[in-house]
Amino acid sequence: MATITGLLLAACSGGGGGSKGGSARASGKCPLGAIAKAPSKPVDIVVWHAMTQANQTTLTKLTDQFNAAQPDVRVKLVNQTGYDDTFTKFKAGLGSGDLPDLVQLQDTSLQLMIDSRAVLPAQACVDAEKYDLSDHIARVVDYYTVKNVLWPMPFNVSNLVLLYNKQAFTRAGLDPEKAPGTFDEIRAASEKIVSSGAAKVGLALKTAPEYPEQWLAKAGQPYVNNGNGRQQRATEVAFDNPVGLDVYTWIASMVKDKLAITTPTRGAGGLNHLLAVANGNAAMTIESSASLATILSVIGNYPSVTLGVGPFPGPPGQGGVLVGGAALYIVNKSSPAKQEAAWRFAKFLNEPASQAAWSAGTGYVPIRKSAIDLEPIRKRWAEVPGFKVAYDQLLAGATNAATAGPVIGDYAGVRKAVEDAIQGMVTEGTPPKQAIDRAAQRANAAIKDYNARVGG
Amino acid sequence: MAGRRLRVVARYTLLTALAAIVLFPLYITVVNSLLPSQQLLARPPRLFPSSPEWDTYRRAWNAGHLGRYLKNSFIVTALIVSGQIATSILAAYAFAFLRFPLKRTLFVVFLATTMIPFEVTFFTNQQTIVSLGWYDTYAGLAVPFLATGFGTFLLRQAFLQVPRDLQDAAALDGYGHLRFMTRVAVPLARPMVAALALFSFFAAWNQYLWPLIVTKDDRLRTVQIGLRQLRGESVSDINVTLAGTVLAALPLFILLLVFQKQLVRGLTAGAVKG
Amino acid sequence: MSQAIDRLAPGVDAASRPVRRLSSRVREAGLGYLLILPSLLAFVTFEFYPFVRNFYLALYRTPPFPGLPKRWAGLGQVGDILSSGDFRNSLKVTVLFAVLTVPTGVILGLALAVLAHQQLKGIGIYRTIFSSTVATSVAVASVIFVTLFNPQVGLLSYLVGQQDFLQDPTWALPAVSIAFIWQHLGITFILISAGLGAVPDELLEAAHVDGAGAWSRFRNVTLPLLSPTIFFATVVGSITAFQAFGQIDLLTNGGPGDKTNVLVYAAYTEVFQRNNIGRAAVLAIALFVITLVLTIVQLTVLERRVFYGR
Repeated sequence: MATITGLLLAACSGGGGGSKGGSARASGKCPLGAIAKAPSKPVDIVVWHAMTQANQTTLTKLTDQFNAAQPDVRVKLVNQTGYDDTFTKFKAGLGSGDLPDLVQLQDTSLQLMIDSRAVLPAQACVDAEKYDLSDHIARVVDYYTVKNVLWPMPFNVSNLVLLYNKQAFTRAGLDPEKAPGTFDEIRAASEKIVSSGAAKVGLALKTAPEYPEQWLAKAGQPYVNNGNGRQQRATEVAFDNPVGLDVYTWIASMVKDKLAITTPTRGAGGLNHLLAVANGNAAMTIESSASLATILSVIGNYPSVTLGVGPFPGPPGQGGVLVGGAALYIVNKSSPAKQEAAWRFAKFLNEPASQAAWSAGTGYVPIRKSAIDLEPIRKRWAEVPGFKVAYDQLLAGATNAATAGPVIGDYAGVRKAVEDAIQGMVTEGTPPKQAIDRAAQRANAAIKDYNARVGG
Repeated sequence: MAGRRLRVVARYTLLTALAAIVLFPLYITVVNSLLPSQQLLARPPRLFPSSPEWDTYRRAWNAGHLGRYLKNSFIVTALIVSGQIATSILAAYAFAFLRFPLKRTLFVVFLATTMIPFEVTFFTNQQTIVSLGWYDTYAGLAVPFLATGFGTFLLRQAFLQVPRDLQDAAALDGYGHLRFMTRVAVPLARPMVAALALFSFFAAWNQYLWPLIVTKDDRLRTVQIGLRQLRGESVSDINVTLAGTVLAALPLFILLLVFQKQLVRGLTAGAVKG
Repeated sequence: MSQAIDRLAPGVDAASRPVRRLSSRVREAGLGYLLILPSLLAFVTFEFYPFVRNFYLALYRTPPFPGLPKRWAGLGQVGDILSSGDFRNSLKVTVLFAVLTVPTGVILGLALAVLAHQQLKGIGIYRTIFSSTVATSVAVASVIFVTLFNPQVGLLSYLVGQQDFLQDPTWALPAVSIAFIWQHLGITFILISAGLGAVPDELLEAAHVDGAGAWSRFRNVTLPLLSPTIFFATVVGSITAFQAFGQIDLLTNGGPGDKTNVLVYAAYTEVFQRNNIGRAAVLAIALFVITLVLTIVQLTVLERRVFYGR
């Protein structure tokens, strides 16, 4: 207790006032040595995650490996099936005391977790142990670092890739080894696909609000103000600019010209974009590299589909893809021994060998540079070159405020505003300018409401 | 003669057409649950499984933990139904046969609870359950629903129908209230009690929002939330999800077939009296 | 009732009776309170306390996380929410949903019940089929229909041409309504069939003998006698429709663009996704008022048309 207050005081006086956007109050001391002093071993910890199917299998294997290799810590995995559900349960747990020791939450939860004051920042343990982050991919660490504090330990990094049916491309007279890389190329390819009858439409696109975020990052544009929410707490969105309008216009015109269909983001229809490629209704779609392993095994059942993987297409600009996926937060409400145990497990999952096995088994990007030389990844990348695409485009991107990724408290509110606007645009024919303005308006209202409620 | 036969045929045709429409969603679900994955997307859609894949049912049962979900649903429903019947019998008896100050006011209070929709109470109730330490327990799932104003109203109606002579005769025979309740009043009100039990059962079995917010993992999930979970976990294996759905509906189907007559009798008693 | 108890001791002389009457009255009252106590306890804890607390909660802005301080907002928050477009939308959707589902459900149930009430051979099978949906529950029915409506997998899209009804702003609510109506068809059918069974055959016979046609018999004999049942089904149906949650959660999650965001669902997302309990409290109170108004309207307007002749 005293050490924490001491740290707080030190941080307050040293870090200076304006602690908007992230927190100078990186409170918490890494309880190294607590396991050694624990009354009973092994120390049991509960880890909440949202991995399903192939990803869950791989995670379970890694966890079993960890449990078997040492006597001090035993990890129990609890599957919450979705990041949203995990977060809902976590919030409920803050009230009821029913919390895990380590929780996997998606990239967009960063500001929320900082504001929850329930997290022991990984930075504390990194500093205490002098943990070496130099082998980590810098952009990944940067994404989860706000004001020099690394909050979670990164774990599963993914980004968006283009999936396309090589057989449909061949039938349309397109080169099956060349994936379209820009909006214009997608449009051209779709026109050929539709006119040749290779598929009903060219592209099946989820009305996912994260896509505009990625597209603006690719064009080198920040999504919200105040340095994308990293210099100070974001107060307004910044996406209602000409680049954003281009994105919305492209979506609207593709759907209007019957070159693309839109599919739901979540729920029962959440896989419809993939199903559309599988049953020949579409030839291309966009999906997270995280699902690659699962998709490949499922698509394998459809003889008329040969899956090709290409980089995430988008508008031109000096940007890159955003770091997506999720990361592991150590919950500071647990006992010191459990917190240290959580840190150890998170470290294990960050080791090159673990990352190699993890990436090969799922499609997530390995976050350790040395991991790519290890056998599992080398083998996987040779077998299925598509797995390498996400890694390459992550490293290829520029490093600037836009590609560092937005940090927003009420991410959900902003995303909902964007999703509703895009849907209105494609189903009701709202003009793109009106749609983007409405999205900006409602997103700003959500941000304002959150900021007021959290009290700076 | 021919005219009448035509009319009969017409009636059967109409009935059959309607029956087909009503049954169709169930039928197509069973079909889809038995199709191998790639055939699910076949265009035109298949209406009959040529090589049924029974394995989906095994997967839904095992990986989908359906046995556990069904068990939980049954336990919670049993708790709620027995609680509601017990408290309703006691309260209805008091309102029908006893005199005490403020009786009319209190009865209105009971009726008022039927006006309070669930939305008004669920989040406060969740916090109450948590502070009682009943989060993720059978108690948390059942206790808030152990009393019902609607049930009290129904049973009071039934008790009021008990003929005066019976009451007087019982009094003369020296029957105390307990004996009167258990030997006379409740047996006479049996149709209404059965009706209440049935309504309670279906309401409890169909609870969705409450089990969603007071359970945190598979241990105590009821079948409704279990299905939601299953759909989330096997979203690419639609046939497995549908198999799970069929399995989840099976117990109630069996109950329906077995208790069909009682069901109708019970509801006759309830509905016609208004 | 005290007379009955008086008669428990008929031989006692008149002089001591007043004393006994008083003490037995006290005992009776005590017993009465005791018997209603369990229910009352549950009601106070789980119905009245939350209800009252809502009014208190509606005046505060709750932080995004439990554990952080609340902020006083007063009636300003209430006013903001009630005048917001979101609220008006949820209100409209809730009412629309009830309008779509209740009359349709009752009429369909009535039609099926009447058709299955005939004296035909094997009618029992049809009765079983029509009541079968009573065995489906909210999750079962919703999963069935979400698959049926799926544009990639479902049969419906193949017949109609690929359209995703659940994502279409115009058709999403009707689609959810269809799932809801189908799920409740069984119980409505059983309910009305039971009511039909109580219509005495002699009355119908008499009308037939008097030369009344089938439709006239139906309108003048069956329908009035069935009216208490229909009334009951309508009241219960509308209460259920206002509380519909599971179907929305499994079919549309309130979308697309809030077109199926009924008040219950909006309250749920406010609480569990944004921890915005203050707003949810306002929505809950609004829903209570609507339910109250509707029930009063039904009790006064509709009940007058119910024929209680006996």
